[in-house]
Amino acid sequence: MMATEHEHWRERSDIYALGALDGEELKNFQAHLATECPVCEAYVRETRETLNLLPRSLRPMTPPSDVKARIRRQIDNDAALSITAKAPARAYLWRRTAGTLAAAIAGVVVAGSYFHFRYEPRHTVYSAVVRLLRDPSTRDLPLHGAGPTPSAKGRFLWNESGEGHIFVTDLPAAPTGKMYAVWTIPRNSAPRYVGTITTDAVGQGGLHISSRSGTAVETFAVTLEPDGTTAAPTGPMVLVSKQS
Amino acid sequence: MVVESVSNSISLIRRIGAQNRDAFSQFYDRYSPIVYALALRMLRVQSDAEDLLQEVFLQVWRQATAYRAERGSPEAWLINIARSRAIDKLRAIRRRERSFVLTDDPAAAESPDNVETSAGESETRLAMNSALASLPEAQRRVLELAYFDGLSQTEIATRLAEPLGTVKTRMRSGILRLRGMLGTQAA
Repeated sequence: MMATEHEHWRERSDIYALGALDGEELKNFQAHLATECPVCEAYVRETRETLNLLPRSLRPMTPPSDVKARIRRQIDNDAALSITAKAPARAYLWRRTAGTLAAAIAGVVVAGSYFHFRYEPRHTVYSAVVRLLRDPSTRDLPLHGAGPTPSAKGRFLWNESGEGHIFVTDLPAAPTGKMYAVWTIPRNSAPRYVGTITTDAVGQGGLHISSRSGTAVETFAVTLEPDGTTAAPTGPMVLVSKQS
Repeated sequence: MVVESVSNSISLIRRIGAQNRDAFSQFYDRYSPIVYALALRMLRVQSDAEDLLQEVFLQVWRQATAYRAERGSPEAWLINIARSRAIDKLRAIRRRERSFVLTDDPAAAESPDNVETSAGESETRLAMNSALASLPEAQRRVLELAYFDGLSQTEIATRLAEPLGTVKTRMRSGILRLRGMLGTQAA
């Protein structure tokens, strides 16, 4: 490729790396990058590396400690959901192991340990739901099907401490490349993503939520989104706590 | 020292990819102050910055195996994730024609805990501020509007009531000067 042509792209690659290229220039440059031009790829990467030092001009701020705690809870919930999805296979393994060990006391010990270490996160979620239900300040709201899934139903348990749990039924699994995003919507404020819910073969699913407390939530909603969409809802609403 | 730090961070990301919670905790402790500062600077509302921080580190936990050392430093990877998500939020807010609620001043949110954790980090901040300060005001302004406020070149031209070509020239000149001063090394 001629040097002059690369000079043409280099002018755009700086602004692209900054994230400020737009319109036709953006489309054209993205099309050029799609040709896997190694010169421009390397240049954009190096420029980004430099620009991403800009946050170092800011004074580091220690975040509130509860943010880390919320992340830990979400990671626990992820693990619990993962275990739920894999439960049938694990149950089969457990039965096979239990059969081999018959009525031996050692089998009881092994099974007990297995349950403790592998199912403990799910047990934690169940305990959390029970705690929510016991709390008189927890709201229990019905969710109504909307848009492409009018027959879907659900319930949303929500405590203004920022903890909640959503149950859904009759919600078909999200198509490939899509996901069901759960949102809490405070009055006069933008929707806040609180998690992604998956449903099984019969359209059932659940998700435990640990989020930031503070603003009172007015509406709860589930939307169908392209995978990875968490900044703001863009797709159709499939469940909502208020009927229009 | 810098190479050692980057190497250690890469090792942490690999362990996070294997779902090692201790490695994740170390990675969070190391980088959350800079990500949180960036989130506050961009979103300006403390609660939104906390949400962003949570989303960014959950993405790190879930997608650590997607990190490629040959494509950039761990810090650049992390900042890219944070900035990309913050820009999505800013643009969603603008689409809704909502105005920011500037009640939470990032500077006011500082507490005695919010200080550099090492002399090295303080020096890095001074070096960055020095580099930015050495740029002509017009160049610094367009870079900050693009980088921290997530505005496109056209939006900046409109905001500043300047020709688009002028804005582009200032951006490029500013970036070239920064590249010259900072190179591509990362802490």
